[in-house]
Amino acid sequence: MKWQITIAGILIFLVIATAFTNNGSKPTPLVFKVPPGWPQPVYDFKQNPVTLQGFELGRKLFYDGRLSKDGNFPCASCHQQFAAFATYDHNLSHGYDNSFTTRNAPALQNLAWQKAFMWDGGINHLDAQPLAPITAPNEMAETVENIIKKLSADAEYRAMFKAAFGSPQITTQRIMQALSQFEVMLVSSNSKYDKVMRGEAQFNLPESLGYAIFKQKCASCHAEPFFTDFSYRNNGMPMDAVLKDEGRMKITGNPSDSLKFKVPSLRNVAVTEPYGHDGRFFFLINVFDHYRKNMVVGPTTDSLLKNKLPLSNYEIGQLTAFLYTLTDTTFLKNPRFAPPNFNNQPPAEHVH
Amino acid sequence: MKQLYMMMLGMLVVIGSFAQNLQLKFIPLAGNTSLVLDDSIYQTKAGEPITVRKFLFYVSHIQVKDVHGKTIPVKNNYYLFSASDTATWNIALPIQPQMLSAVSFTIGVDSIKNVSGIQTGALDPMLGMFWTWNTGYIFAKLEGNSTASPLPQQTFSYHVGGYKHNENAARTIYIPINSSHKVTTITIGANVLSWFNGVNALSIKAHPLCHSPGKLAMQIADNYSNMFQLLKVQ
Repeated sequence: MKWQITIAGILIFLVIATAFTNNGSKPTPLVFKVPPGWPQPVYDFKQNPVTLQGFELGRKLFYDGRLSKDGNFPCASCHQQFAAFATYDHNLSHGYDNSFTTRNAPALQNLAWQKAFMWDGGINHLDAQPLAPITAPNEMAETVENIIKKLSADAEYRAMFKAAFGSPQITTQRIMQALSQFEVMLVSSNSKYDKVMRGEAQFNLPESLGYAIFKQKCASCHAEPFFTDFSYRNNGMPMDAVLKDEGRMKITGNPSDSLKFKVPSLRNVAVTEPYGHDGRFFFLINVFDHYRKNMVVGPTTDSLLKNKLPLSNYEIGQLTAFLYTLTDTTFLKNPRFAPPNFNNQPPAEHVH
Repeated sequence: MKQLYMMMLGMLVVIGSFAQNLQLKFIPLAGNTSLVLDDSIYQTKAGEPITVRKFLFYVSHIQVKDVHGKTIPVKNNYYLFSASDTATWNIALPIQPQMLSAVSFTIGVDSIKNVSGIQTGALDPMLGMFWTWNTGYIFAKLEGNSTASPLPQQTFSYHVGGYKHNENAARTIYIPINSSHKVTTITIGANVLSWFNGVNALSIKAHPLCHSPGKLAMQIADNYSNMFQLLKVQ
């Protein structure tokens, strides 16, 4: 009888203790799922564990214009969900005071597996990435100090920071970690291609023919399952005379890195046009034509492309069919990634 | 009762001595005189006149060596010195005053902190000592004007940093002290004119700007690694 009382006592204690812990507003952990067959992510979740409260805070920040100088340029102004978080139909995105960015906004997906960010790989940590667009005069043009001032004046934010981080203090680190908690959850792994790989669907004939051509001609750089090997390569795009973008060389200072840019993922490629680091290719056919005809082979051009990349019209047709299987509508329409209180309005006001 | 009183007094003395920290103090200099920001014109060794608007650097990995040769490290502490903010001139080390033979410190931020996302305190990127487009800390900053500068408004601006092995701009400074008494304050002068001479002569006319890691940044770091001089040991 005595041991039963002891156990009952322990149980009651545990229940009360748990209740108290919840009462102490501990954030609720969110599970980061690694899709089957994918490698472990490189993002260090131990330093910044994803919680429901942190994710929701990050989502609110991502869609909040107050992170920009005039309120018009939230992260989402250049990273639109329906375009896999790239800028739809814009070669270069719009920034503060009628300015242009100098590069094509990349899709934001599967970021937890990326070691470095930006087309030139200049940013070495996801948490540090938002500082670049936030402070760039031709993007959000704001200072972190000002953002902290604006957010600290908002009781809702103070409550959300408390829920996510235990106290209402708003710091650079907390803003960036919350944004990362939202961004690492942007996993796209449910396209038709993924379903075929999992045995849940089948390619039709052009898709399967395209997949075979893809593996033969494209996959050495656009490697599965991310459809990029995250390397920096010169694929023969001559330097734009206005932008004068040297790419990776700007970061390393090494002339052998001249005109090298990160190999972009082809996931959701059907909705992320225009293509290329400066968005010079408006349609997929422009990209194919670049590889088979227009590319300029220079001293740093990738050795795999020294003879350009011959593609027949037939191959282009099949490849296009395959690339369309990389569109992941569950990702593009996932309401968890939409603006807070999403009510069928466009994801973000796009200011021209 | 008297014994108790004495005991309490004794405890207070003990607590008091624990509470006292060894102070490391930096004084900004231009040559042999105190640096006056904005208003005073100084001559570099090459004869280029300068006024200084900003002068900042990170101090980290501070170590003191006691008279027995034992080193006492100050771990995970980073300090940002700014000539425009006297509150940053004085660093209270978590070390008790004692007999010392040397002090050493790094001007810069170690690679771990450069690759681990966003830090807090003195390393908060908000303080402006951080490159956003090419992640990494600016270890030291010197900005001002010079009639020798070919830039608009005749500015010069040196942002020195770089943590990667072939562009490492962190420099370790070693200053012998050899005290014969318990040291409470070490006062060190930091001479801005040293940025322009030393190992590599730096001409504002030729190089008014350094805004990225690389060869120039490392050369300037070599120069300013000689900018420190022991002024006073108390």
